[in-house]
Amino acid sequence: MKNWFKSGSPWIWMTAGAVSISLISVLGLLLMIAWKGLIYFWPSSIYEFEIHQPGIGNSTLIGEIYDKESIPSKRLTDQGIILTEHTGEFVTRYLIKTGNREFVDLDFRWVLETNILSRTEPAELALFERSKNGNFYGYVESVNEDGNPVKGDKNAALARLIDRSSELADDALSLQNSEIGSINYELERQRLAQRALVLQGNLTDDKIAQFKQSKLTLQQEYQVFEDELFGIRKQARRDHVVVRDMRGEMVKLPLNQVLDVTFPNDMNIFNKMAHFVKQLYKFISDDPREANTEGGVFPAIFGTVFMVMLMAVIVTPFGVVAAIYLHEYAKKGPVTKMLRIAVINLAGVPSIVYGVFGLGFFVYILGGSIDSLFYPEALPGPTFGTPGVLWSAITLAILTLPVVIVSTEEGLSRIPSTVRQGSLALGATKAETLWRIVIPMASPAIMTGLILAVARAAGEVAPLMLVGVVKSAPMLPLDGNFPFFHLERKFMHLGFHIYDVGFQSPNVEAARPLVFATAFLLVTVIIGLNITAIGIRNHLREKFRSLEH
Amino acid sequence: MISIETQFKDVKSLDLANLPEEQTALSINNLSLFYGEKQALQDVTMRIPKNQVTAFIGPSGCGKSTLLRCINRMNDLVDNCRIEGEILLNGLDIYQKSVDVAALRRNIGMVFQRPNPFPKSIYENVVYGLRLQGKNDKRVLDEAVEKALKGAALWNEVKDRLNDSAFGLSGGQQQRLVIARAIAIEPKVMLLDEPTSALDPISTLTVEELISSLKEQYTVVIVTHNMQQAARVSDQTAFMYMGDLIEYSDTNTLFTTPSKKQTEDYITGRYG
Repeated sequence: MKNWFKSGSPWIWMTAGAVSISLISVLGLLLMIAWKGLIYFWPSSIYEFEIHQPGIGNSTLIGEIYDKESIPSKRLTDQGIILTEHTGEFVTRYLIKTGNREFVDLDFRWVLETNILSRTEPAELALFERSKNGNFYGYVESVNEDGNPVKGDKNAALARLIDRSSELADDALSLQNSEIGSINYELERQRLAQRALVLQGNLTDDKIAQFKQSKLTLQQEYQVFEDELFGIRKQARRDHVVVRDMRGEMVKLPLNQVLDVTFPNDMNIFNKMAHFVKQLYKFISDDPREANTEGGVFPAIFGTVFMVMLMAVIVTPFGVVAAIYLHEYAKKGPVTKMLRIAVINLAGVPSIVYGVFGLGFFVYILGGSIDSLFYPEALPGPTFGTPGVLWSAITLAILTLPVVIVSTEEGLSRIPSTVRQGSLALGATKAETLWRIVIPMASPAIMTGLILAVARAAGEVAPLMLVGVVKSAPMLPLDGNFPFFHLERKFMHLGFHIYDVGFQSPNVEAARPLVFATAFLLVTVIIGLNITAIGIRNHLREKFRSLEH
Repeated sequence: MISIETQFKDVKSLDLANLPEEQTALSINNLSLFYGEKQALQDVTMRIPKNQVTAFIGPSGCGKSTLLRCINRMNDLVDNCRIEGEILLNGLDIYQKSVDVAALRRNIGMVFQRPNPFPKSIYENVVYGLRLQGKNDKRVLDEAVEKALKGAALWNEVKDRLNDSAFGLSGGQQQRLVIARAIAIEPKVMLLDEPTSALDPISTLTVEELISSLKEQYTVVIVTHNMQQAARVSDQTAFMYMGDLIEYSDTNTLFTTPSKKQTEDYITGRYG
């Protein structure tokens, strides 16, 4: 035993154990999030239950099994619930997602296993994904095209008509966003221009007439597009499908509200996989619906990536320049030492403090001044004097500045002095040596700093809630209207989206899988950003492989 | 070992103490150097003749490298370094305030102990100094690269891979590349700080042959640990000890009939 102890084996076991535990916890976390998030996209079976409710009678319930738990029977009997023909200690109950939100009190319902009389999976059961009110479950009774019932294969007709209506919906959306959006943007610009002239006292009758004229033209154009839009919408409303729901009632669903119809019970594994991929793609590329509890998260992905890249663009030059001064020019003495310690300690300040600072300084003071100097015509409506993507990026840039400074300094100190001297000996000044030799050679270290900064910034939510993130941003910070980048706009962020969907949502059960899916997506986005940066760094490292003899 | 005497060349010896102005490349007058409180050079006075190879020898820490680095003001990079006395290049003190250090270093090239190529291609390494001077004409640069690499006896080995990374070369090739880089900007003086200490014997031989050929165009000052090397390549030799210049004369005299006891002890291997 003593020899075994002396041999160092226990030490190896202990250290290896520590590594394994870390590895297992990281993998476990990723797998758990991935599993919980990804099953949301897998088409699950829809069951039709016959349920006996003591004292009420029998009823039919159609829905997906969402969750299952076993609870002690005693707890139920204590609550006065009668358990028929059940003697076990535990009783299983199911959480059933019934959909059909507008016709039932609760679209998630707990049902005791003992109350279930029968459970079937009819292949004809259809799942309607709708743009309003969530899913609808039922049997397709008839399909109505342009006022007349369709003869023949109604499911094929349904699929065809849904394709038609979603194409129309896409047309309407693009008309609304690009053409009508541009006109609105232009009208607002004209209004501001006119207001600016009023403020300057330069508004002549001539100009007023000009403005009136262009406004009239724009409004006429607007009218044309609006008519077109209404036309498209009317076209989309043309067809409907009649569905028999679990109450046995016939419900008319207009096809402009139906996004997709599937028959999950009738799908084989390949259909399910195809459906899974399609749902995943929709999640990544669609806009959110129903207070973020349905639909996709595209604006949040875009907002996160855009904000992080903007931050990287801001933090890199500042951090590198500061590190160069500290390492190359500052005299080595107590003041420099203090500065360096201060910079390192900045990394330890809680992020919410940066948020408060960003709100107080950037948004109110800086943004307020910019507004009164450059955008007086929009006042009292703020342009930059309100939280926005620019202020978020700058706040996070300050937050991650220490990381970039520290790793750049480390990189600078690793460059062999012989190389610097070689450059100086050829008649280069210090600045030329820095530009031509030192900074290129330190670029892998700068990239390391950037990787750490991006990893930290992409996961940071608290400060952003104060300086620019919102629950739902109707417009992306990048669009087709000049000047294309709209840095004053608010944006959506995956991290905040998780918080919002998970804790601020009106329908907690419906939102739960989205929390996991969004969390998994956030991790994927951060890993993606990091892998890109690491790739660039490795390329640079290869290029500037330093002298190793 | 080949005896030292057989390698002496037949050179007419110069009167180093009273070297005429036109034959002097550098004159060092009463140079003292301090690192903080510590004095590293004590009142060094010497004249380095044009188009000759002058070697500094002496035990480690004797100040020979420090003296070499004074000549192109590399010691400016060291904090707390203070210099008294003067070094005249063409009759002008290089330590005057008005001197442009970068311009001075263009006139006084330097090669270091370890090869220090830049992380660039062979071609870019050679033209680095020229690009600094704003010369970017491809034709001019191509010519300069060929000339410099030929001058450094490296052209034949690298002419087909000028755009490859300089790190792909062997240590000896890298050192010759560094010499080529220095001669590409056509300095007047070349300072070599133990240029072969990191090289194998064959590379050393190549570099030594190169040094002998360099003196046709440049004044060469070399610091070396290796007394045989000093004897082989240099025309003048200065022996330094503890920051003092002990003896300075033509190589032949110094190695055969040293006038100071310390020199004799050193060259006969009694210490150092």
